[in-house]
Amino acid sequence: MATPLIIKTREVSSIVVFDIEGEISRQDTPQVTLSSLVQDELDRGRRNILLDLSGVGFIDSYGVGEILASYKSIQNLGGRLKLCRISPKLLLIFKITGLDRVLDIREDCSRALESFSQA
Amino acid sequence: MTDGRLERLLRGFGDVRGREARAALALSAYFFLITAAFYIIKPVKESLLIGIHPAWWSYADLATALLIGFVVALNARLLDRLPRRTYLTASLLFFVASLLVFWLVFDMIRTSQVQTPVADSSGILFLLWAQTVILRAPLVPVIVFSFWADVFIAMAVTQFWIAVNDVLHAHQAKRLVGLFVTGGLVGGIAGAAIAFLATTLKAVKVETLLLVCPVLLLLALVTVNFVYAGRQRIDAAAGDGRIGPAAGAGAPAGFGQVLRHRYLRLLAAMLASAILAGTLINYQFKTAVKSAYPGDQARTSYIAGFLLVILAVSTVFHLLTTDRFLKTYGIRWAISLAPLALLLGSAAVFVIPAVLALPWASLVRGADKGFDNTLSQSVRELLYIPVPADVKYRAKIFIDMFVSKFATGCGALVFLGLRAVRNFDYRAGQDLAILREIGVLTVAAVLVWLVLTRLVYREYPAVLKQPIRRKWTPADEVIREHVDEDLTLKVFNTIQSRERSTTLYLMNIFDLVRRRDLTPDLRGLLGLKRDEIKARGMDALFDVGGAAFFPGLEEAVDDPAFRREIELVFLLPVYQEIMAQRLGEMAASPAELDRIEVAKLIGRMVPNPPTIEALGRLLRDPSAEVALYALESAAVHRHPGHVPLILDQLANPMLRAAAQTALAAYGPGVAALVAPALASDGTPVEIRRALPEVLARLGTQTAADILLDGLGRRDEALEQALVDALAKIRLDRPEIRFSHKAVRLELLGLVRRTCEIVLDPPAGPPAEARALLDIRLKRVFDLLTLLYPPEDIVKAYQNILQGTAQSTDYSLEHLDMLLDRELKGLLLPLVDAGLSPEERAQRLRRALRLK
Repeated sequence: MATPLIIKTREVSSIVVFDIEGEISRQDTPQVTLSSLVQDELDRGRRNILLDLSGVGFIDSYGVGEILASYKSIQNLGGRLKLCRISPKLLLIFKITGLDRVLDIREDCSRALESFSQA
Repeated sequence: MTDGRLERLLRGFGDVRGREARAALALSAYFFLITAAFYIIKPVKESLLIGIHPAWWSYADLATALLIGFVVALNARLLDRLPRRTYLTASLLFFVASLLVFWLVFDMIRTSQVQTPVADSSGILFLLWAQTVILRAPLVPVIVFSFWADVFIAMAVTQFWIAVNDVLHAHQAKRLVGLFVTGGLVGGIAGAAIAFLATTLKAVKVETLLLVCPVLLLLALVTVNFVYAGRQRIDAAAGDGRIGPAAGAGAPAGFGQVLRHRYLRLLAAMLASAILAGTLINYQFKTAVKSAYPGDQARTSYIAGFLLVILAVSTVFHLLTTDRFLKTYGIRWAISLAPLALLLGSAAVFVIPAVLALPWASLVRGADKGFDNTLSQSVRELLYIPVPADVKYRAKIFIDMFVSKFATGCGALVFLGLRAVRNFDYRAGQDLAILREIGVLTVAAVLVWLVLTRLVYREYPAVLKQPIRRKWTPADEVIREHVDEDLTLKVFNTIQSRERSTTLYLMNIFDLVRRRDLTPDLRGLLGLKRDEIKARGMDALFDVGGAAFFPGLEEAVDDPAFRREIELVFLLPVYQEIMAQRLGEMAASPAELDRIEVAKLIGRMVPNPPTIEALGRLLRDPSAEVALYALESAAVHRHPGHVPLILDQLANPMLRAAAQTALAAYGPGVAALVAPALASDGTPVEIRRALPEVLARLGTQTAADILLDGLGRRDEALEQALVDALAKIRLDRPEIRFSHKAVRLELLGLVRRTCEIVLDPPAGPPAEARALLDIRLKRVFDLLTLLYPPEDIVKAYQNILQGTAQSTDYSLEHLDMLLDRELKGLLLPLVDAGLSPEERAQRLRRALRLK
């Protein structure tokens, strides 16, 4: 049984941080999706978004699709999406599939936040 | 006067904004004063020249052409070495001093004596010697004065634009060019009026007019110093677009730049041909005036009056049409109008009677000067905008001061040659025939000019967009470059399936390893269970050989013979028969895993009725996992009866992507089944919103047409998805054609709706209105990629959003060139960050024809 997904939103210096817990995976009952939350933030004018994945145990194909859809929406509006505190195991899969070359993945969330202010 | 009041006052003459008002006024005054001085000097120079033998007209022009190079070199050296303010002050003081000397010399010639009091004996000796020399060769001062006057106007105008470039950045300069040209024209009118009135009323002698000019130039000196005194303040607002000081702006450097850049070569050639034509037209004019006015006072008066009329007409033309013409027809027609008009005018010499020779010559010369003062001058400055600042600096000086004089020299040589060949000296009373013979060459020169305008215009957009770089790579391109999206999703599914069942995992593995692009790392990774991935550290993960769930599996499935055997087993009639018997039972099994496995397995089976029926049931399964594998199998069998079931799954965000992939796998034929669902209001909006992506993946002409048709229905809920899909097709399939008319219609509608956000912002925080505007603008630019080169549009969009002041300028300029009048009238005010909110609203209302 997949762990339910919980996404909490906070804002740090105009950067929206999503603290994600559980599994970003396909559920039988439709729920709020990461990409729709990202779209809401874009609609509010936010362009820089950080996903804190420290509480995420697993991501399935649906989860990857959600992250990539979020990346597309943000990037195409000139914004930036970063990921931080991703588990070493997930990072390995990301590296092997090449996702780490698309997504800006940082070990440390505070450094990731700082990196938004750099060009 | 406050900046605000000054800004409002100057608004009537040009697009003046905020703190630039004082600098704009001072620069206009500077241009006014130097042109006023020149238009007093010019009739004096012309009249004196016309008074001498016509062959000397050419020699005077040739002298200018030959010697101007030295002046250019000296000017460049001074420009390089002196502080800009010192350089401009010294130049103006030199012109003031030399004007006093010329007055003295011409006064000597007229009176044949020195009337000026002198202070000491050495001075008396010098003047007596000078008097002797000058009176023996009265032609020399006229030629020298003609050369000096050419140097004065060339240097004064170049110095004015240097001052403009020093204190304003390119986009500011472009906005204010109209104001400056107005200042110049009014100055010219004032100067010509002074000359005309003074000579007509016989108030002063011709040469005494020259004494007015030092006063004007001293005022110009004060003005230019005021401009530079305020420079520091302007700098802060100018950003990075301001052009820095010229480094090593020597004539050889300018020549080198022109030689290196094809665009600059074309620009120089275009200017040279225009000046060659203008020089020949001027000889026609001089011939006609010499014949009509033998006396110097009347001749000077006619020339001053002629210049006054030309400048007055030019001013009216400029104020009423230059800006409008540029905005309406763009640079393309603005650079062509002058040669086209002059071609017709010059050709008219072959049909006019002798009595109309002077009016005709005055009209054509007037048209040439008129265009030169207004549209052509504005366009010439605009044509330099895309040239990098350092290159422009050197090249412009070279072209303005050397190439132009070289062309004049060529004109002079042509005229001299024609005079010799056609014996003009022995054809007194044949003025019209002479005008016609010069006219043949004039027409030829104008034709060359016309051809060169086309070549320059063809080159302009390429040069303009050169410095515009992408600020970021569009997401789809990044993903495509680094990730096989389909494979990545399958990998994640496979990893997940391993904890579900060995059968499922093996079937997924079998699907994956058939792909030839699996990396060794990926093969290793797939030998691990999901729980192991959760549990194990990164280092251990790399050491997968001994930890694989099925040791040796990797090698086995990698063996082509083994893979072939498995394929054959799947195709065995016995296997198909047994499985067909169990399908219904498994598809209805209460165990989710059974249903998942059979949903996956069906993809490997022959699509007979039991298989299709079972798949249909699984496509409706409440389990997302089952439906996912059923969608995968549906993509293999592509049974038309399953399309409605797949369409239903588009409503589920968990299965949407898989359903889109399944539908796209049906191929182009599915477009006909998708189109009604997209068009129908009865289809749930989530499904309709997911359909454009399916059509985008099909990427056919029919799919593009359906999408465009859908956009035409103006459904706000679908707009984003439709535009995204159209942009994707444009990017993936450049060969697809979009109806220009249909896209433009939708674009205009979309831009108009975007304008409404600015004019009537939605309730809520301003940041949200801004965000809505940004999202709409993105859609507009995405749609623009359907009509214009996508790379150009993407770069323009990105630079407008996040570029430097300079790259934003270039992007706006590029859009200005690219878009049609109505579109740019609506879009440019939306994206021009330099506009105040009031000005933006005013422009949008004007573009929308609102009151």
